[in-house]
Amino acid sequence: MQFLGKVIPSPLTLASGILGISFSSLQRVIRDGAGMVTTKSLSLEPRIGHEGPIIAEFEGGLVNSVGLTNPGIDDGLLEVEKFHNEFAGVSIVSVFGANSEEFVNLARAVNHSKGDFLELNLSCPNVEDEFKRPFALVPEKITEIVTAVKAVSNKPVLAKLSPNANDITLMAMLAEQAGADGLTMINTLGHGMVIDAIARRPVLRNNFGGISGPCIKPLALKLIRDAYKQVKIPILGTGGVSNGLDAVEMMMAGASAVAIGSAVYERGLDVFKITRMEMEAFMSEHGYEDYTDLIGILEEN
Amino acid sequence: MKRDRQTLPIAAIREENPSLRTFRFDTQLEAQAGQFVMLTLFGEGEKPFSILDENADSVYITVKNVGPFTNRLFELQVGALVSIRGPYGVAFSLENKRVLMVGGGFATPPLRFLAKSLRARGIDYLVNVNGARSQADLLYVSDFEELCDRSLIATDDGSLGHRGTSVDVMQDILEEETFDCIYISGPERMMKAAVDVARKYGIPFEVNLERYMKCGVGICGSCVMDPNGLILCKEGPVVGHETLAKVQEFGVSHRDKTGRILEI
Ligand SMILES: Cc1cc2nc3c(=O)[nH]c(=O)nc-3n(C[C@H](O)[C@H](O)[C@H](O)COP(=O)(O)OP(=O)(O)OC[C@H]3O[C@@H](n4cnc5c(N)ncnc54)[C@H](O)[C@@H]3O)c2cc1C
Ligand SMILES: Cc1cc2nc3c(=O)[nH]c(=O)nc-3n(C[C@H](O)[C@H](O)[C@H](O)COP(=O)(O)O)c2cc1C
Ligand code: FES
Repeated sequence: MQFLGKVIPSPLTLASGILGISFSSLQRVIRDGAGMVTTKSLSLEPRIGHEGPIIAEFEGGLVNSVGLTNPGIDDGLLEVEKFHNEFAGVSIVSVFGANSEEFVNLARAVNHSKGDFLELNLSCPNVEDEFKRPFALVPEKITEIVTAVKAVSNKPVLAKLSPNANDITLMAMLAEQAGADGLTMINTLGHGMVIDAIARRPVLRNNFGGISGPCIKPLALKLIRDAYKQVKIPILGTGGVSNGLDAVEMMMAGASAVAIGSAVYERGLDVFKITRMEMEAFMSEHGYEDYTDLIGILEEN
Repeated sequence: MKRDRQTLPIAAIREENPSLRTFRFDTQLEAQAGQFVMLTLFGEGEKPFSILDENADSVYITVKNVGPFTNRLFELQVGALVSIRGPYGVAFSLENKRVLMVGGGFATPPLRFLAKSLRARGIDYLVNVNGARSQADLLYVSDFEELCDRSLIATDDGSLGHRGTSVDVMQDILEEETFDCIYISGPERMMKAAVDVARKYGIPFEVNLERYMKCGVGICGSCVMDPNGLILCKEGPVVGHETLAKVQEFGVSHRDKTGRILEI
């Protein structure tokens, strides 16, 4: 199948922020069966991120406050170059800027790399103290940043949206109007907190973080469906997918490909291979020939 | 997968030397030698520590005071609440019958646990080489003497045992005897030298590696090794000779807290 003009062996993609700091882990994930990989979100300067604990699990998934740990765009793109060196695999370079000027500089840097796609992380909830309101919540910011990046980027651009927006469908439409080539949705939900009652403390060192995993899947499905009905650009769906049926559902809702994050914690890296087998089993049992046959075919009541 | 976070008081603290303390927690992890826990100090952070020992009542870790987190830990008294999760990672294998252990510096705790486990399973022949800068830095000398058939010592300054490194002593031993497996735990330069010797004699080995670890469960990517993408917190920290051959960064480079590559 294809995604934004690139041939991919499977629609299952590594979500940003999971293992994706080094070329070694990105190649490893492809070898273990992913169709595409997304890098950790890269910023202009290296970032240490938050102190641990950075992840806390609960019945419904994970709450994380990694805090955008990354080696910075220069070293990050060296990893992207090494990833593509004599290696077949499609990469999405995720970037994170503090304003549209930074996003433009990041996009320019990515232009010179072998990265296949550029993903704009407009919605990381973990650094609000530093960066104020996430851009994905502010309609004018979406338009401003996507327009500015599209003016300089020579890569297909994905805008990553937040379920915390009042009207994420509006954000999707604005991103499309500003020239985005695709959407990634959804990023983590809210801020959540996991509490250690014995210690009378939040588990996360940062007190709160973004919620991911199975508990956000119904929300992701609904929001992807809403956006799918309003935009023509492809959607990289993400949020709580941990098995083949989840991935099928997300494609039926309207995703053209599906990214997996938290399930790597539950099922290990085999999750890509196993989920793909589960998808194929479902498809052959129910008469779907190609992954693309699934996209958006949901019939609403 | 056992992964409950446990919040519990420090049950006892023993000073091994001015910069090294052993902490006891009265809980059960069913840990094996080589595995580690993530320890949280509230309001401070969370860091990985090898398990020194576990018995029916308690789990022990030995900590060297090296920076902000360990400083804070050294300020805590018995009864202070902390939180641990684990055990994580791959342990040393226990099948071998003729075993050589080579340890250096402060990385010997897992070898002590290993010696105890091997003895409990019934081992034919166990030799340990314990190396440190000087006599005052040597750990668990009498424990190793008790648990091993031969227990040798090397100090850089010659204050006890052989003058030189544990790898020098290892080389001497391999001139005389052979083993099913060599278990190596120490600073990476020392392990690299030990691995070169083990390869020269064609003896299988396992090393106990350290990399920067933040999540401990294979999700954040900070401990992943080049170029094969070994996820050390899940697929290590104990790594066998066949896998190690693919980890080209061993003895060469590691990654800092942000993921940038640094030379060793
Ligand atoms: C699998 C494993 C087992 C370990 N077992 C022990 C042990 O049994 N006893 C012991 O004293 N130490 C052990 N360490 C090292 C211990 O985690 C660090 O000494 C500790 O994190 C230092 O924190 P700090 O804030 O006091 O010092 P810092 O000033 O932050 O760091 C000092 C040095 O410690 C190391 N370090 C710091 N943070 C980490 C981290 N998150 N992950 C890995 N290394 C880090 C780095 O090499 C750094 O240069 C182990 C590390 C790993 C990866
Ligand atoms: C530990 C962790 C780190 C993440 N880091 C990033 C990041 O750097 N950039 C980003 O755009 N999304 C990041 N995310 C969000 C994921 O890419 C994904 O959108 C979200 O977790 C929902 O998918 P999931 O339920 O499959 O995890 C992170 C998620 C987790 C769990
Ligand atoms: S410490 Fe996070 S992947 Fe190993």
